[in-house]
Amino acid sequence: MVTRERRVVPGMRGIASVPTYVVMQPTTLCNLNCTYCYLPFRSQQRRMSVRVAAAVAEAVNTWAAERRFSVVWHGGEPLAIGRRHLAELLAPFSSDVEHHVQTNATLIDDAWCEFFAEHRIRVSVSVDGPRERNAYRVDRGGKLSYDRVMAGIAALRRHEIPFSVLCVVSRPEPELAAELYAYFLELGCEVLGINIEEREGVNQRGNAHPEAAVVGFWRELVAAWRRDPRIHVREIEWTLRYVAAVLDDTVDDLLPAQLDPIPTIGYDGSVVLLSPELAGFTDPRYGDFTSGNVLETPLPELLAEPERTPWISEFLAGVEACRATCPYFGFCGGAHAANRYFEHGRFDGTVTDHCRNSKIRLLEGVLEHARDGDPSA
Amino acid sequence: MPETAIRRRDQDTGAVSDPLIERVRQAEAGLTALLRDAERARELRAEMSAKCSSAVCAWNYFENIPTFYNWNNRPR
Repeated sequence: MVTRERRVVPGMRGIASVPTYVVMQPTTLCNLNCTYCYLPFRSQQRRMSVRVAAAVAEAVNTWAAERRFSVVWHGGEPLAIGRRHLAELLAPFSSDVEHHVQTNATLIDDAWCEFFAEHRIRVSVSVDGPRERNAYRVDRGGKLSYDRVMAGIAALRRHEIPFSVLCVVSRPEPELAAELYAYFLELGCEVLGINIEEREGVNQRGNAHPEAAVVGFWRELVAAWRRDPRIHVREIEWTLRYVAAVLDDTVDDLLPAQLDPIPTIGYDGSVVLLSPELAGFTDPRYGDFTSGNVLETPLPELLAEPERTPWISEFLAGVEACRATCPYFGFCGGAHAANRYFEHGRFDGTVTDHCRNSKIRLLEGVLEHARDGDPSA
Repeated sequence: MPETAIRRRDQDTGAVSDPLIERVRQAEAGLTALLRDAERARELRAEMSAKCSSAVCAWNYFENIPTFYNWNNRPR
């Protein structure tokens, strides 16, 4: 009789003590009020002090001297802090550090483009496709932001600044994929990432979708990309990397050995690990999710023993639960912390709707495309 | 998700049974053609040399963009 034991997928064991990048929240304020946004306090201007940036830079400059290291200026809307203050926050960082900004692009003009060039900042823009697909991206008066986004992107193009795009898809359906891809080809972005809308933070809209619709969305996106693959599409490239590793028999080397702690530094110096979406929230059980504050404790010290933060040890148990039970773990590496919390109310649950929409059905969509053959042939 | 789709090792033969990996392999012909197209596309892109056109090399490109490459636990 043949008996079988479970083989464990390697990787994602614990949390690395040195990150590959940090996320900085220069301000909580956003000049838009997108209806799906997860951020609390986005109507308030709470600005990061230079003292906080300097405390982060002390650790980051050491890491950047040894290997490639990035700082991502996220938000709120990071440009809402203004060029002068952002320059002051950038000043403590050494020239080894790479800077990135995730922006809604509405404030980008010639002066900002010159600022990006001067500080060698890489730009990623949030836009959801053609005008009619941006109905959720509105300002506080409910007015569509699309024209202002396009003006910002026009400035980037005028200055020949390459840019990436993050696109939120609220209703993934097969017929949407080709439309979106054609739009982003025309827009001229270098890289495209697709975020299926998630239920997290202050956005409590449900994110359960029919399986066939989501699988069909990814399948058709692959087909559209294949017909004219000029753009890097994050989800497609990751899936190709996985299937190539399976076919090459190197799949056990795919996942990182440890999770990246991805410290998010709040405007006040507080540090939230793993999921920036948890910053600014509190829970009777988990407190404020922070692992300390860079104004009180050096960042490397805060990263030395992440499990001391109670929710993180529960999350690591959740990663092990994914490893033990989910067939897609080798592809995905485990459900994200924020999705677990905002969907299950705790961190040791396993599959989330985000997993279904953005991991499981993505892989299934690529497989379906492959099984159906090349539709462009 | 399929309940049986967890990786298992056959204790007699040492062979690993992993239904997901098996399903990927069953689609090998289509996936190989897709990977070949992707490789060709990368060779045409300015930032990628012909020596670095594999799926792993392509993914390395994303290391330029932290919010993109860290797909396993990333900010959105």
